[in-house]
Amino acid sequence: MSFGSSSLGDEVDKKLIVVLRDGKKFIGTMRTFDQFANIVLQDTIERVYVGDCYSDKSLGVFFIRGDNVVILGEIDPDKEVQEKRLQKVSWDEIQKLYELEKQKKEEEEQLKRKIMTDSGLTIDSILNIDEF
Amino acid sequence: MLPLSLLRTGQNHQILVELKNGETYNGILVNCDNWMNINLKNVIRTSKDTDKFWKIQSCYIRGNTIKYISVPDEIIDLVVEEEHTFKSYQPTGRGDGSGRGRGRGGENSRGRGEYTGRGRGDYSNRGRGGGTGGDSSSSRGRGDGSTRGRGGEFRGRGGRGRGGVPS
Repeated sequence: MSFGSSSLGDEVDKKLIVVLRDGKKFIGTMRTFDQFANIVLQDTIERVYVGDCYSDKSLGVFFIRGDNVVILGEIDPDKEVQEKRLQKVSWDEIQKLYELEKQKKEEEEQLKRKIMTDSGLTIDSILNIDEF
Repeated sequence: MLPLSLLRTGQNHQILVELKNGETYNGILVNCDNWMNINLKNVIRTSKDTDKFWKIQSCYIRGNTIKYISVPDEIIDLVVEEEHTFKSYQPTGRGDGSGRGRGRGGENSRGRGEYTGRGRGDYSNRGRGGGTGGDSSSSRGRGDGSTRGRGGEFRGRGGRGRGGVPS
């Protein structure tokens, strides 16, 4: 069974982090995949990072449609311990932090846009659409 | 086991589907197909900002709009079980194919023979029929079976046999 070097076959039953197009990150053990990179994760957690904080939410078995996958990364269980320099906070707290950061980013973005338009540049708003 | 077969196993279970636009649909999976199009019943639809809720009797979701699906943990065990039953149902992957061969004789010997050959189905369910044709006793037929079989009731069907050069 050889699919070339770009196969996910080697990653089966390993702990992976999956980053989706909307920025969500899921960590779990990959059990199976197919040619579209549809992926099934077991014991999945969703992890949200904001600054130096992070939080997990456990989700169980998770089926991810391949379209949305940006990156798959294998997690080395030994090196995972190093993550302790980050601070773990509760899920509610991370949501609040996330909202705050989102607002801050939006304000920055607006300011940037204002400066740009003042100097005669218009940014195509299509670049800022995060829906798909 | 493919991801979609896991989804198929999840039929009649409660699942949560998030679409690419951020809406979530929480309901019982009625059916799904190879394109991941799914039918749900007793659905609760949640808006992207999780501030609005709708109750829907049943709905159909086109597969390509799906971002991810959360399925109950027991589905994985069910899938494994199903795989096991499937494998025991097809113990060796070998069918007892009774092939039928149709042979053609060599240059001088022309005729149609219909013999019961021995079939052998390998894993990909191909039957192989052996048939000797015509008068040429040494000619062996080899069929390229196109029969698909399953489990014990495998039936190989031999294809056309070709006779050898008469000895």
